[in-house]
Amino acid sequence: MILKTLFSQLFTRPATNRFPAKYMPKSVLGFLGKVQAGKATLVPPVPVPPKFRGKIAYDREKCIGCQLCIRVCPAKVIEFLPEEKKIRMHVARCTFCAQCVDACPVDALAASPDFLLSDTDRHSTALIVE
Amino acid sequence: MSALHLLWQGAAVVVGGGILGLVYKGFDRKLAARMQSRIGPPLRQPFLDVGKLLVKESVVPKDAVGWLFRAMPFLAVVASFTVLLYLPWGPFPAILSGHGDAILVLYLLAVPALAMALGGFASGSPLATVGAQREIVMLMSYEFPLAVAVVGVVWRLATLGGGPAFSLAAIAAVPLWTQVGPLGVIGLAILAACLLIVTPAELSKIPFDIPEAETEIAGGLMVEYSGTYLALFYLADAAKTIAMAALVVTLFAPYGIAGLLGLSGAGAQAVDLAFHLVKIFAVMFTAVTTVRVAMARLKVDQVARGFWLQITAVAVAGLVLLVLDRMVMG
Amino acid sequence: MPDQVYEIPIGPIHPALKEPIRFTFKVEGERIRGVDIRPGFAHRGIEYMGMKRNLIQVLYLSERICGICSISHPITLTLAVERAAGIEVPPRAQYLRVIFAELERVHSHLLWAGVAAHELGFDTLLHLTWKVREKVLDLLEELSGNRIDYAIPIYGGVRRDITPEQVPQVEAMIRYYRGLLDELLDAFLRDPSVEARTRGVGVLAPEEADSLCAVGPTARASGLAKDVRQDRPYLVYGDLGVKAITPREWGLEPRGDVYDKAVVRLLEVGQSLDLIERCLVEMPEGEITSFPKIPALLAYLKKADGEGLGWHEAPRGEVIHYIRLEAGVEEPVVWKVKAPTYSNLMSWVPMFVDQEIADIPIIAASIDPCMCCMDRVHMVDASSEAMVQKEELLRLSRAKTERICRGGGPA
Repeated sequence: MILKTLFSQLFTRPATNRFPAKYMPKSVLGFLGKVQAGKATLVPPVPVPPKFRGKIAYDREKCIGCQLCIRVCPAKVIEFLPEEKKIRMHVARCTFCAQCVDACPVDALAASPDFLLSDTDRHSTALIVE
Repeated sequence: MSALHLLWQGAAVVVGGGILGLVYKGFDRKLAARMQSRIGPPLRQPFLDVGKLLVKESVVPKDAVGWLFRAMPFLAVVASFTVLLYLPWGPFPAILSGHGDAILVLYLLAVPALAMALGGFASGSPLATVGAQREIVMLMSYEFPLAVAVVGVVWRLATLGGGPAFSLAAIAAVPLWTQVGPLGVIGLAILAACLLIVTPAELSKIPFDIPEAETEIAGGLMVEYSGTYLALFYLADAAKTIAMAALVVTLFAPYGIAGLLGLSGAGAQAVDLAFHLVKIFAVMFTAVTTVRVAMARLKVDQVARGFWLQITAVAVAGLVLLVLDRMVMG
Repeated sequence: MPDQVYEIPIGPIHPALKEPIRFTFKVEGERIRGVDIRPGFAHRGIEYMGMKRNLIQVLYLSERICGICSISHPITLTLAVERAAGIEVPPRAQYLRVIFAELERVHSHLLWAGVAAHELGFDTLLHLTWKVREKVLDLLEELSGNRIDYAIPIYGGVRRDITPEQVPQVEAMIRYYRGLLDELLDAFLRDPSVEARTRGVGVLAPEEADSLCAVGPTARASGLAKDVRQDRPYLVYGDLGVKAITPREWGLEPRGDVYDKAVVRLLEVGQSLDLIERCLVEMPEGEITSFPKIPALLAYLKKADGEGLGWHEAPRGEVIHYIRLEAGVEEPVVWKVKAPTYSNLMSWVPMFVDQEIADIPIIAASIDPCMCCMDRVHMVDASSEAMVQKEELLRLSRAKTERICRGGGPA
């Protein structure tokens, strides 16, 4: 009977994770500023599994400039820098398939657990990897 | 009682009723959310909603009958708040006690629904028209069992000589349960159940939110309303929720606990008022919050059939039991 | 008033519709007398975009045809390409694909159940099913790294294995849903208010389902034992011996109404759990892809020449991808996607007739429509000269098929 479920849920903790705070703060940026200043506490997000595909991490030293990642990237995230023979990634376009990670012959690319990527500017430094 | 005094009291009830209505709406939303395993909005959310709506632009559609469209929210608000003035508040008698009775309250309760239907028709949107048609059908379906339940109780009371017939003050003063025989108790219980079933229909809440039916007709008769007008309907709904629950409490459970606690004077009045509010909350939680989270929306023909046949039959059976009780008890 | 027939527009944007489509209902009072459907609002030209990309990029594009079928489309595409290019898939990879496909079915059917409950105004059931659905999404995230758009199939195999450490998590998920399934069946199928809203609503007679070529749960609810996994087995479905589920499994004679569609979908959740469990046991050890190196795969696909058809029983029904490859060209020359909703679209017409306005949302939702899967064309100029009737369309289609058979382009 549904009533049983309803009343048991009334007295149990809601299923929602309260990230970043129980109620939406008036200004998220203001709230994050407060968190950094130690005036508010952030409810952590649900932890990601070990093999999570987040923001791509790039090891510039290892990169040999083979451009294989550029060939397989479905979203045209990766830009080739011809002078340095390195790459630049525009994370704002990324679809997180991590095909570039699989394709990279020298393991210069890796999927990091980083997923808090929202930004108001698609060209902000947080969204450019090079 | 001086006119000024009356005015002052009336203002207190209207303002208090409005605030209480919004607070109870907050509780309703919060508890419904918790039953669904959600966090839900903060308790003050209804206040924020009304505040936000009041500063928003109130759009009147081009195809609408302007004056009717604008007038109806005011009519709904005035009618719902007027009901509050006719209902006793625990230890306090109704402000307009003696100026009207249970029958008037029944009519006043129908006015917001009519206002919404007219507003819906006036807004010139096909979705609102469908919603308005549904509202009228709903009104016709639940009014009869509602009237049977209310009239049954007040009639039985009048036969006991509890003051002027149909006076709500008299009902509140003389709880019926102890004065009728066993048949009467069963009859009263049936009528109370009927009234609890009618309550969500009267308030257009799931499973009877047919006139608004978000997923079907996108808010139905409310679809074109915005800004201040929507805020007024929102307030009217909040006040009507309180009024309907208070009516149930007044008719079937007008008991105070101050006597049991051995209090008197202002303390007793405060305790009884608080207890009255708790009872209203209990009725709202049972008949509105729990029902609306535990059911799917019904269809208008199902509701009409259910109210006209089953619920009316049950209500009439309750009435017949009360009549029999009167014959037995004298 | 009762004789007055008026038109109610629903969509393209409406709370009952999760995706854009336009219905125009002819309504008499609360009764629906006729319906006109206009799709095409979610058309993105995806097939054309695919023809401008190399096959690996197309794979991820296909995943984004629809977020819910984000394993069905890539699986079907890989099957088509593997047939066209003659690529063998290692047995373990085939089992893994089946596991992912069935996990997707579990989450898709639970998603549908929640949406259906919401259309009925039963939000508690929506929140309950979606809360429960989190478990399979968490598992998919654990196995694939993403909660949606899993990026798992690749030509010649899959990209990620299920490690021995992950097997207990899969088993835990199966146990979790087995324990809950009875409760869910109870909440949906034995709830009086749900039954009052779904029984006898949106009936699709078996003859109509057959003649309108309905697929998936829509057809099975009408009693047609039609399931691609059973009728034309692919991957390892033949070994697993899938049987199409009709309401008969629930002890009911199929009536083809919304209730039956709910029965079929909820029972299929149980069926998927059984399949996943069997796959875990029967899955052999071995390679998960025949092309561990991406450059080798790209080079092989560039040389491939031929055409291939892939089919798969997506949660919503049969999905078909057709692909044509030419040697020396990295991009597919032709890519054609037929999504299940395309086949189910016309079954709306008999389902809507003589129903009430109140039934529109649940009937619309009952075929579990996916507009973005289906929309392959959008009529921009809807003037009468531009409209093409059935006969003309058939003639044009045949002419196009002939042109393609002769080796010409699709243009």
